[in-house]
Amino acid sequence: MREEIGRLELIRESLVAVVNEMRANVIHSSYSSIIYEGHDFSCALVAGDGRLVAQGVDDNPIHNFAVPYSTAEVVRAFGEDIHEGDLFLHNDPYTGGTHLNDVLMLYPVFHDGRLAMFTATRCHWGDVGGMTPGSLSGRVQEIYQEGLRIVPTRICDRGRMNEAWLTLLFDNMRITRERRGDFNTMLGTSRKAADHVGRLFTRFGGEALLAAIEELIARAENVMRERIAGIPDGAYHAEGYLDSDGHGAAPLRGRLALTVAGERLVADFTGSSPQTKGPTNVGPAMAFNAVASIVKSCLDPDTPVNHGSFNPIEIVNPPGSFLNATLPAPCGGMVECRALMCGLVVSALGQALPGKRTGDLKGGGNHVYVSGPHPDRGDLFLLYEYPAAGTGATGRTDGSHGVRAFPEGDFNAVQSAEVVEAQCPVRIESYGLREGSCGDGEFRGGLGIRRDVRVLVGDASLSVLADKNLIPPFGVAGGVGGAANRFTVVRRGETVEPSPVPGKVGGFALDAGDVVRMETSGGGGYGDPLDRAPARVRDDVALGYLTSGQARERYGVVVDPAGGVDARATAHERERLRAARVLAPATLSNESDLDGPRRRIRLPADLARRLGVESGTLVEIATPACGAALRGWAEIAERPDLALSADALAALGAHAGDTVEVRPVHLVPR
Amino acid sequence: MNGSTHLVGVDVGGTFTDLVACGSDGVLHSAKVPSLPGEQWRGVLDALAALGVAPGSLRAFVHGTTIATNALLERKGARTGLVTTEGFRDLLEVGKGRRLVGGLFDPQWQRPAPLVPRDRRLEVSERLAADGSVVRPLDGFDFDALAAELRGKEVEAVAVALLNSYVDRGHERAVARALAGRLDGVPISESAALTPERGEFERTSTAVLNAYLTPVMRGYLIALQAALAERGVSAPVNIMGSNGGAMALRAAAERCAGTFLSGPVGGVTGAVRVAERARVEDVITFDMGGTSTDVALVHGLAPRMSHDNRIDAFPLKMPQLDIHTIGAGGGSIVWVQSDGTLGVGPQSAGAAPGPACYGRGGTEPTVSDANLLLGRLPVGRPLAGGLVLDAGRARAAFRGLGERAGGGGGEVALASASLRIAVARMAGAVREVSVHRGFDPRDFTLLGFGGAGPMHAMSVAEELGITRVLVPRRPGHLSALGQMLADLRRDAVAAWGGRVSELPIDALRARAHAMRAEGAATLEADGMGRERHRHEFTLDVRYVGQSFTLPVRWEPDDADWTPLRTAFDARHEETFGYADPANDVEIVNVRLVSIGEVDKPALDFTPQRAGDPVLERRSVWFGEWRETPVLDRERLPVGSRTEGPAIVEEAGGTTVAPPGWTIEVDPSGALRCEGGVRW
Repeated sequence: MREEIGRLELIRESLVAVVNEMRANVIHSSYSSIIYEGHDFSCALVAGDGRLVAQGVDDNPIHNFAVPYSTAEVVRAFGEDIHEGDLFLHNDPYTGGTHLNDVLMLYPVFHDGRLAMFTATRCHWGDVGGMTPGSLSGRVQEIYQEGLRIVPTRICDRGRMNEAWLTLLFDNMRITRERRGDFNTMLGTSRKAADHVGRLFTRFGGEALLAAIEELIARAENVMRERIAGIPDGAYHAEGYLDSDGHGAAPLRGRLALTVAGERLVADFTGSSPQTKGPTNVGPAMAFNAVASIVKSCLDPDTPVNHGSFNPIEIVNPPGSFLNATLPAPCGGMVECRALMCGLVVSALGQALPGKRTGDLKGGGNHVYVSGPHPDRGDLFLLYEYPAAGTGATGRTDGSHGVRAFPEGDFNAVQSAEVVEAQCPVRIESYGLREGSCGDGEFRGGLGIRRDVRVLVGDASLSVLADKNLIPPFGVAGGVGGAANRFTVVRRGETVEPSPVPGKVGGFALDAGDVVRMETSGGGGYGDPLDRAPARVRDDVALGYLTSGQARERYGVVVDPAGGVDARATAHERERLRAARVLAPATLSNESDLDGPRRRIRLPADLARRLGVESGTLVEIATPACGAALRGWAEIAERPDLALSADALAALGAHAGDTVEVRPVHLVPR
Repeated sequence: MNGSTHLVGVDVGGTFTDLVACGSDGVLHSAKVPSLPGEQWRGVLDALAALGVAPGSLRAFVHGTTIATNALLERKGARTGLVTTEGFRDLLEVGKGRRLVGGLFDPQWQRPAPLVPRDRRLEVSERLAADGSVVRPLDGFDFDALAAELRGKEVEAVAVALLNSYVDRGHERAVARALAGRLDGVPISESAALTPERGEFERTSTAVLNAYLTPVMRGYLIALQAALAERGVSAPVNIMGSNGGAMALRAAAERCAGTFLSGPVGGVTGAVRVAERARVEDVITFDMGGTSTDVALVHGLAPRMSHDNRIDAFPLKMPQLDIHTIGAGGGSIVWVQSDGTLGVGPQSAGAAPGPACYGRGGTEPTVSDANLLLGRLPVGRPLAGGLVLDAGRARAAFRGLGERAGGGGGEVALASASLRIAVARMAGAVREVSVHRGFDPRDFTLLGFGGAGPMHAMSVAEELGITRVLVPRRPGHLSALGQMLADLRRDAVAAWGGRVSELPIDALRARAHAMRAEGAATLEADGMGRERHRHEFTLDVRYVGQSFTLPVRWEPDDADWTPLRTAFDARHEETFGYADPANDVEIVNVRLVSIGEVDKPALDFTPQRAGDPVLERRSVWFGEWRETPVLDRERLPVGSRTEGPAIVEEAGGTTVAPPGWTIEVDPSGALRCEGGVRW
């Protein structure tokens, strides 16, 4: 038995080594910058039935936690008809893909003539055809505009590659040669990995190796069951929004009821908005992906990833909503939808485990494409970046500035200006912190970034797919949200909105000299900003994260001209700000406060006046005990009290009679 | 002492300062003294005094130092300022948006603070385009105001890193000169002078690391040189660089970011000598100490280089030997992980309290305790240094672990499992430098040294399917020996090239010629005569459309591109599983290594004593208890063969040969071990 636990670790280490080798291979031999610079790909080993066996420390859960679903679909489609030398491609969101750009290659590994494992490589291809260069756009109306959809497909039959099929595929994608190069990279990687797995079968003995994998999965499952059992039983609720479907003004509402019963955890997304004709939809794999990522982070971050951690998780997600969409709903906004679901789980789980509350994140991929004719090469240039943003605060830590957040793999968000300028007719004019953008709190969120890209040629175009431009990242435990994402064009010194729907831009025409300005969101804050240690605020002022005016208005900290904290003035200022807050006891209303996807917050006229808000203005309700602040649209009410429906109170984690704070929501740093 | 002169090598480790000296008479002296934190030079002097060699007899002195590494880890570098292109002062802090260190599934992760905080990062109005043309000229910029601001912030060092300076260094150099003239005595690091390669984040980070460490390194070198002079040492003092070659003090003070691996490279260069004398060309070095293990791959007697490095969370784009370090060694603690499986390290019992068996208060079980329980270390017989190990304490420590793992007893089984995990970790490190770089470790010989290397080398080899192991004499002193034998070395790189189909080979030859002339001049300035120079070119090559490159050796007398093309296609196929012969290839960088060879003394490592080598026989655990002879290495003659299981002891090193391995004493004095299965 003692020998056994040593051997298990050994086998785990050996399997992870295969995945790490795959990663190195992909990075160093690929042809598109999003892979070699951006590292937007992941590798894994999965069992013959699709269960996740091993991944590396740098692999991205956004990719990998969807692989089991895809693999199961391939197995369902081909069943016993899978042979040595076969190779499968897949990217279809409705059968477990992420978005069309993420192409998965599965390579079956046999032991003793029996299918034992698959090597899985999922790479983001720079273009998979469709309406705009790069394929992702905020303005698409059906999935056919996002590129080619690959349902589970055998592209190589017992060693015979279907070249005609591949030619058809590549000839319908932009920059064909790059696609072929990336395909070759995935193929070389899969073959080498399969060889490596074969050596492990020889070394450990096939049956022993497969048995050890089952044992490792069972152990991870046991740990997760214990951790779930440690959460108080009950139902925890959350709700949140995406800005819009890219076409209309209406937001999309996501709902979650998280039920903990003993060792089981059920995440139920019933009641979320219907699927849309815009890009903000996802297929069935992503709800599991989001829940698994957050549950893993909050409950058992240490056990190396395998499928056991996810076995105790159950997902309820009826088809037809934007969180489980069907043909022909576009799914390019996969990262945005996943981010929303991650936020819902953080918020609901935070009610059960207050120590795990974490401020919200940028809410998506922030995909930005600038493309146009290349003046020297005669073909297209394509600059694709996905700028990072501030991360959320927790009860012990401030967020960090402009960096990948905890539920994401670690990959570049922008490229080197020197690399970009050598390859594309653009100039990066500036790249730095977006001052004042943090969500305030006792612990503040991180700052977003600002990046200005000047286009040096005419006939260029801009596409953007981003969310949280209208409804910014939330704060927790009473903390304030961060500034919203914002994507604009500066033309001859004037700011131009490139789309009627902020953050959803499809092929906006750029002139030579135009500057594309990316400003990303701040992370959500944690706790009351008036409780933040004044010395920390002073340091934020000294480093230029906040102006002294912002320190006074947002934190009540008065920094004197020498840079020190004026303690007396600070005490006075904090008292003034506290007194100016709009607080009210919440009462229970039996009337629904939903208006389509929007939650109405019925404000007595005097409260609305004090807040300076009108009907239709986005406001939020927070308490020190809440997870995420509850967002809604103000409606000036006749009644004198602040009446909330039962589901609003549940999402807030509050009860009738509790005193809550109502406040406006700011999109730009004030 | 007679009239012989001495070459000296010093290796400063976390626990001990190790010094070896070789006389012109061929006699080797060595000394080990405790390292003194904060006063590394004093440890060096203590070791020199302990050695008993006349200071005036020293001919050359090479020093592997951990000054740079320690100053960074403890964040005790200089108060540094950074000057960037307008609009880019935050680049150092945000980089490309990656975390770079950990953070997945951890909401409380925070990015490490940059070495230069935002209020000391200033901007200059200037801009070059990607082709080097001036977009915004530097003319009329107010350097007086910039210098005044830096002075006001009391900076002790400044890094200058401007966009596209790798194409044209004009602006960057002008800014550096303007500041140097206004900030008296403040060292200035220019990014493109350190690394003229594309990638502003990596270059900026490199310049900042260098600036941050320069005052510390300067101070140390001045103190060391003065103290040595005071004791009558007039020999030149050279500092080992991360690239595996020594450099003069002046160069070390200017390029101190090139000394992060100053210590560990000593082991690698020493290992290359050992391999050369044993007539082995391809080795993986395995240097296992008390708290960490360093591994590196040597192909054709040349250690592999790495050009994209990271120290902590900070990119460093200067050539280093590709050494991979993991936090596991003899002192690593064994513990029970969250899912009930065992883990080894990275926590270490260190030198204090040390492993439980040291009897100095340690209660956690360590790898050394496991080795003792399994009979690989002697019980009751003092080790070199007089320490007697206490098996009772080791057993108690493992008993405690057994209880935490959910069941008592079975200390031996637990110890055995712990060792296997430690060995798996080591094997992971070997894979990192081999498999992940496109090499099959089974084609290599594992060369084990350091305090704990020879004890685990054969187990690690078995884990990887490696069937050959080499153990040098004095395995505990190999790093200092490597320092002593280091050649002078300078690395140069030019971001130069293009598509091979469009590039005349004469243009590359002209470029190579100019680089070689510059390399030769540098070596001459360090006192190295031309007859001792050697120059080697490598080209960074890729297929058109790729980003990452593979290094390919290039000879300036190649008549055309054919040899380069053939070598690259083959290397690509071997490394990545496919070649793309229809695609054009392009050259991205030209690299030159200029080496000034020092005299290497002929060291005699053959055993000196005769008599029965068997010290004792004891039971040792190899999956079962086996009666195992313990041999004295001093008495094992050249050519003698021993079948495993066997243990070979010498001062500062124990070699363990499991069953199925054969040990033969090579004419060079090294133990040549063969066994295991190439799986």
